Amino acid sequence: MTDAMIGLVALPLTGAVATLLLPRSATAVAVGTGLATTVAAGMLLFGVATQGALHYEIGGWNAGLGITLRADGLSALLLMMTSLVVLAASVYASAYFSAPSERARFWPLWLLLWTSLNALFLSGDLFNLYVTLELLGLSAVALAALGGKPAAIAAALRYLLVGLLGSMMFLTGVSLIYAGYGTLDLATLLRVVEPGPVAWTALAMMTAGLLLKTALFPLHFWLPPAHASAPAPVSAVLSALVVKAAFYLVLRLWLDVFANVVTPVAANLLGLLGACAVLWGSWRALQAERLKLLAAYSTVAQLGYLFLFFPVLLALPPGPTRDLAAGGLVMLALTHGFAKAGLFLAIGIIQQRCGHDTIRDLDGTAQHLPATTFAIALAGVALIGLPPSGAFLGKWQLLAGAVETGQWLWLVVTAIGSLLAAAYIFRVLGHAFVHRPYPNQPVTVARQEWPALLLAAMAVLVLGLAGAPVWKLLEIGI
Amino acid sequence: MLTAQVLYGLTACVIVALGLRAALLHTSLLQRVVAINVMGAGVFMLLIAVAYRGPGLPPDPLPHALVLTGIVVAVSATALALALARRLHAEQDND
Amino acid sequence: MNTTSLLVFDGLLLFSIVGLAWASLATTDERRSVILFMAFGLVLAVAWGRLLAPDVALAEAAIGAGLSGALLLAAARKQPRLLSPGSSKGSRHPDGANVSLVSRWAVTLLSAALAGTLAWALLHAFSSTPHDMLPRAISGNLASSGVSNPVTAVLLNFRAYDTLLELAVLLTAVLGIFALGQGTPGYQPAGPIFDGLVRWLVPVLILTAGYLLWVGAHAPGGAFQAGATLAAAGVVLRLAGRSRIGLPDGFVLRIVMAAGVGVFLLVGLTLLLLGRPFLGYPPAWAGALILLIETAAMLSIAATLLLAFVGGQPQSADVNAAANRQREEMS
Repeated sequence: MTDAMIGLVALPLTGAVATLLLPRSATAVAVGTGLATTVAAGMLLFGVATQGALHYEIGGWNAGLGITLRADGLSALLLMMTSLVVLAASVYASAYFSAPSERARFWPLWLLLWTSLNALFLSGDLFNLYVTLELLGLSAVALAALGGKPAAIAAALRYLLVGLLGSMMFLTGVSLIYAGYGTLDLATLLRVVEPGPVAWTALAMMTAGLLLKTALFPLHFWLPPAHASAPAPVSAVLSALVVKAAFYLVLRLWLDVFANVVTPVAANLLGLLGACAVLWGSWRALQAERLKLLAAYSTVAQLGYLFLFFPVLLALPPGPTRDLAAGGLVMLALTHGFAKAGLFLAIGIIQQRCGHDTIRDLDGTAQHLPATTFAIALAGVALIGLPPSGAFLGKWQLLAGAVETGQWLWLVVTAIGSLLAAAYIFRVLGHAFVHRPYPNQPVTVARQEWPALLLAAMAVLVLGLAGAPVWKLLEIGI
Repeated sequence: MLTAQVLYGLTACVIVALGLRAALLHTSLLQRVVAINVMGAGVFMLLIAVAYRGPGLPPDPLPHALVLTGIVVAVSATALALALARRLHAEQDND
Repeated sequence: MNTTSLLVFDGLLLFSIVGLAWASLATTDERRSVILFMAFGLVLAVAWGRLLAPDVALAEAAIGAGLSGALLLAAARKQPRLLSPGSSKGSRHPDGANVSLVSRWAVTLLSAALAGTLAWALLHAFSSTPHDMLPRAISGNLASSGVSNPVTAVLLNFRAYDTLLELAVLLTAVLGIFALGQGTPGYQPAGPIFDGLVRWLVPVLILTAGYLLWVGAHAPGGAFQAGATLAAAGVVLRLAGRSRIGLPDGFVLRIVMAAGVGVFLLVGLTLLLLGRPFLGYPPAWAGALILLIETAAMLSIAATLLLAFVGGQPQSADVNAAANRQREEMS
């Protein structure tokens, strides 16, 4: 079962090399690799559920000398989400790109991105995390620039510079940790880190770098143009997974490794920034003219919700209420991942079939692209946080925790944010469901529509109705 | 505390700050890339200062390996940034 | 060297390092900035040598100052100043003039605070008891690592997984560059003196690369330094206006690009199939496996750095010849 951990990194990496060397059969190789990787993720999830937290010492060297891979409930769930989203987007992408040269450039970078995500979630070493962050950043930028238009290239370039700045700050923090504690292993650091100048400064530097990469307000300026100009499958993965990976690292550092170093003041600061992100992102999404920009700003807002959890979690005493809230956080993150990916894929279909993604001109879409519109509606339900979506469960826990700890501000912010989300989703659906005579038969491409539908359904139905195992799995810590 | 460690360590902090300031203030793409590279050099100096254990003891090889990896990653990122800039420039010329 | 003269030397070295960094970042002329940055990199290499880090010194000189500098200089030469996306908010003043005075001071204050905070944390770290668990573990396990250079042991054995991912980073960068379009047209054919120099410089560089690769097992050196030297040979050929710069074509080029990652994975997965941990070399075979991986890595690194300098897929020899003829006609 622990071999599945190596498989999760080695399989997509091998696939990347294979698609580079065999461009003509690249699509088949890529989708095949995707299936194998998803199976490995499933095996890992099963292994963690039955045997508890797993670890794998690469090269056989023990922790500290070598690099250890670690999987617990949280990372296994995120890995499963990553595999399902990327697999669905891969199937979508096989029909999205028409020219063979486009496909030949796309697949190796796509699989390298997948490798970096898996490597990041599994890494148990601080410097290894830096390398995975760089791999993630470069592959994401290269994929975002595949659009080819000047707007896409400019947005990708800004994304790269911001990402590099973030990585440098992260590395500064890592270096301070090594200077102060002589080790880079996360499990060891969990035991030896104490509050003090070294830990505070290092955590601050690493967090600053990660906040740049997760686009938390006010460091979010690079996200909307980059996600809006990228090709549809790339946008899906960027919004659903890449920014989530940086958030996962903030979570891991604040709640696990440096748990005894964080202060309520710092957590409140993160919460405040999250609140601004929710309000600003939702407001800008409401004003957006294009669907992709709307979706990108929605990502900024949804990530804000995730940060609202920090002050709540830190104020709750360890116990069942805190565990419920932590589960709510993960549920919200998972739901957003599936829903946003489904949304971007559906928008991609509209863009290709109608030639544009302007919201005002969406009249009649429900008639000639019924499945696509349904996918958007489902994803919208999850983004607003209506039952039975997983987001409803997540927000419910957030509100419950906020009430329990008396932090009413987050309650108000969540309510306003959800109202704004309802407004911008219904605005889109309102246009899409306007009746417009459409003489031709609906044009459908199954390979593109099924992934969008399934992802959105995952967010709304599966996570919402069958979400209890998430809480059980999260009890399995590092 | 070794004098050399302190000297080089403090200088490293200054260089990181210089690089960050320039990266934020410059508007020219090339100089931003140079600034980020300078910031990286500062972090490398920090690591190598940590690794130095005086003239008598051999230095700690782990930070040296980390810096080597960091140098290669930095040049890869620089190369990609410059290629993007070249493509952007070509696109803007065509407008 | 007694302690006072060493202190004076350190002082001078650090003064020039900070001075060069400051000058490189303060000037508004892009080309001057890059050249000062290259000088900064070379003095850094001296500093690494002084701090007993010869492996890093070699890599800094070859990659950090040399190849990075070459890439930046080539970019500065071709384009009139390209503004960073999102920064050209209307005015076209020289650097920083359209950034308000308030924000300049705010950033300067922020950077100063950062330097101070880092220094405070660092001094605290230095004054606590030194942690030497890892250096002791490294020297303890060096005998079974297959090499006697501890840095190579860390890079290619203990933390080989980092190196594997780093080679993936290199591959990603070059694939991203490829996706952006064709490389730059070549340089003009060299005059007789440069041409003559190239004739013996390139073989020497290739031999040096091979030596660095071989010697990396027991002395400063290794795949990265060797790869950079090999790439330098290709850069020299390109600067001399040659159309053939040592890169293979088509399918073979892609094999060379992927070789580093590929061989690493092959070794790692084979060991996994044989029942050992991933990248867990048997001590008897470790030296040979490391040399195998390093050779493939050297070729990949050289190809990647050279392709980065070319700026994309190399244009065919005919296109280069035509471009040269066109330039001659125009001059």
